[in-house]
Amino acid sequence: MTALKPLGQAVLFAIIGFLIGGGLSAALVEAAGRDEMKEPVIAGGYLFALIGWLFGIGVWGSWVREWFGASVKPFEAHGWKRYFGFSTDHKVIGVQYGATMVVILLLAGALAMLMRVELADAESNLLSNTDYNTVMGLHGIMMIAVAVAALMGGFANYVMPLMIGADDVAFPRLNALSYWIVPPVAVLLIITPLFGGFDTGWTAYPPLASQGATGNLLFLMAFTTFGLSSILGGLNFIATIITMRAPGMTWSRMPVFVWAVFAASLISLTATQFVAYALLMVIFERVFGMHFFDGTIGGDAILFEHVFWFYSHPAVYVMILPAFGIELEILSHFARKPVFAYKWVVRAFFSIVALSFVVWAHHLFTSGMSGELHGPFMVLTELISIPTGVVFLAAIGTIWRGRLWLKTPMLFAMGVIANFLIGGLTGLYLADVVTDLNFQDTYFVVAHFHYTIVGGEIFAMMAAIYYWYPKITGRMYNETLGRIHFIGMFALYNITFIPMFIVGAEGMNRRVASYPAEFENLNMFITVAALLLGVAFLPFVYNMVNSWIRGQRAGDNPWGARTLEWQTSSPPPEENFETPPVVLEDPYGYGDPEAQHFEFPPDSGHAPEPVGGDD
Amino acid sequence: MINRDTVAVAIIWIVVTAVVEIAFSFADIFPAAASEEAVIVDDAFNFLTYIAIPVFTFVLVALIYSIVRFRTRSSAVDGAPEDGPHVRTNHRWVWGWMVVTSALVVTVIIHPGLTGLNEVDELAQGDDLELVVEVSGIQWAWTFTYPDQNITGSELVLPLDAHVRFDITAVDVLHSFWIPAFRTKIDAVPGLTTQIHANITELGDYDDDINFRVQCAELCGRDHGIMQSQVRVVEREEFNEWVLAQQ
Repeated sequence: MTALKPLGQAVLFAIIGFLIGGGLSAALVEAAGRDEMKEPVIAGGYLFALIGWLFGIGVWGSWVREWFGASVKPFEAHGWKRYFGFSTDHKVIGVQYGATMVVILLLAGALAMLMRVELADAESNLLSNTDYNTVMGLHGIMMIAVAVAALMGGFANYVMPLMIGADDVAFPRLNALSYWIVPPVAVLLIITPLFGGFDTGWTAYPPLASQGATGNLLFLMAFTTFGLSSILGGLNFIATIITMRAPGMTWSRMPVFVWAVFAASLISLTATQFVAYALLMVIFERVFGMHFFDGTIGGDAILFEHVFWFYSHPAVYVMILPAFGIELEILSHFARKPVFAYKWVVRAFFSIVALSFVVWAHHLFTSGMSGELHGPFMVLTELISIPTGVVFLAAIGTIWRGRLWLKTPMLFAMGVIANFLIGGLTGLYLADVVTDLNFQDTYFVVAHFHYTIVGGEIFAMMAAIYYWYPKITGRMYNETLGRIHFIGMFALYNITFIPMFIVGAEGMNRRVASYPAEFENLNMFITVAALLLGVAFLPFVYNMVNSWIRGQRAGDNPWGARTLEWQTSSPPPEENFETPPVVLEDPYGYGDPEAQHFEFPPDSGHAPEPVGGDD
Repeated sequence: MINRDTVAVAIIWIVVTAVVEIAFSFADIFPAAASEEAVIVDDAFNFLTYIAIPVFTFVLVALIYSIVRFRTRSSAVDGAPEDGPHVRTNHRWVWGWMVVTSALVVTVIIHPGLTGLNEVDELAQGDDLELVVEVSGIQWAWTFTYPDQNITGSELVLPLDAHVRFDITAVDVLHSFWIPAFRTKIDAVPGLTTQIHANITELGDYDDDINFRVQCAELCGRDHGIMQSQVRVVEREEFNEWVLAQQ
């Protein structure tokens, strides 16, 4: 049980924190002579509980003690116990993030099954309408969390420092902190149904979010806390890529995945702060009785939508940019050809980042905002399809006349091309104002964003899981089961979501537990397909667990890939490379017998200086 | 640059595109369009689809062709296949792609993008406005007030061939006013009046076509899904009779 000591300590500190914070809040409410006691106590208690949790898990022992001149006691453990404490090894944190996010993915997927069973017929009969809304909101926010953190927190954390030849991220303790912020978020979300649930979906639009059950408050606090994790992660990755690159790893030699992580981190660091403001203001409405967004007493409900989407639209690029990076990385290594038009891809990534900040109001075409904004936001939104198109050119150019090695990661990476093609093209109808006036808030939108986020990002995440599985575990997954998973997931995914475009065009709106009986046949079809899609994940889960225990030893570089993470042992030692590598050129020299990405210089007694910020 | 594979993909692409475009021209995915606005929306959808189909088929044909033609059968034991050709980029392809995709984007921005916006605006500003209906959303019902006729109720009855303006607001939280047969929607915002127009062209009744309904389209709490009202579009005489009967 000693392995779980940090966790036990964290829980204890969290409880003590809650009592202190709740008590202080109660005293303040009493002193101010206000009646509403419940939500201020919960909010104040939570704030202190969060601090207590973080101190208990290791922020105190590994970090804060040194501010007071005391010696720190870093967390040390081996084997599986490493994953249950304040480890600062980016590989451990990557696995912590990845495993947490896969569990949340499966839970949120189970919630989707529940929604589909409710939607199998037109009447609302399985769940009450409030329960349906809560299930839908939880499915939404949990999947958003997976989409934001699985690739960035999981794979970027594990792989990116290896790819640039670094021994860790720039701020290892900050990295551990950003992970350990996540469990309280999960706890808050899971207990929302005990507090009356929340009716707002993941978008939390006031005035609705300012009213109703206390479940809303828990949801708002969870979302805000998660934002903090994302901001710290983005900051850490930017600093790492700027300062920690191995000697010779100039900007133009970086793998495309590293570029994608850099671009996505810029958005995480800057845009996330806006959604945190917006959510905090709604929390203030609930806790302090303020009125920022109530139009009947001087506020403005549309203002929230602007600030919310100022983050939440760029956030989809935090999801999809690393997915593009993984896709192109895998296509190159499994087609045995260089990434096509590398420099254009990098330009495209940064064009997407820049444009992502100026398209948010396309979510507001039907909000009642000034009509003068419709034209400009339509134009800017449609421009983003030009850099996105470059990514498709690069993907096709990379596999064109290559030697395609159709292993499971390659199958998923090519699945990304096909799915995101549909997701991207259907975005056109939502960027165009007049077609959006009809499609906004219908199942057409539901189908569209599932095509981009699931068909694009989650397929890329599956590609990443299979691709780096041998590196992370040291063992090879079962190829047959991997292929069965791909075929089942690809086919059933499309069979589930294509009909949603149709039912949306026929006039079915989203976020409803019941609907006109005319849509019943298509919905029954979708429900059956969705349940089978859930079954398609069983071989995946079995394969992951079984292969980790019994899989064949994979060797260091089973794919014959050229990037640096494959040039060390599987799994890598704690310091990543026994001898620090020196980079000679980019990793895409396929077909060029002279090409050499790196060398391990004979030990000269001291490691060369990192390339740092020059070039 | 021009080789057998490129020619093969080009031919397959042209054939597949032609087939899909023709198939789409017969497709009929929308319910009946009952207003001039609805026709603009549906035309915009169709135009965008005609533009999107060649892009869709190009990527898909190139992808599937590559899988069939360029795959290797190397097994896991043998390790990775031999390297492919060392091609890093191709300036003509990249610039060609940039020019074509940019041209497509500029096209859809102009039409149906800006032209569609303009057409809807012109319909709204037309001086043939005949009827104003004040709409108010409250959890979870709609109220319709005909200020000139002095009628208030939960039923929305509209005359055929009329230009109607809806003045929309909400009492409690955000709602959204959407009649699928008219295709357009706008949110009902507490403390604000939003407007939407319909130039009605078809008769219809919720009992025959569920797209003649006012559907709340912005999540508004527990019973959002059933926040609906029935819509009837009737001949003028019938509308006048209905007005008299209500007064």
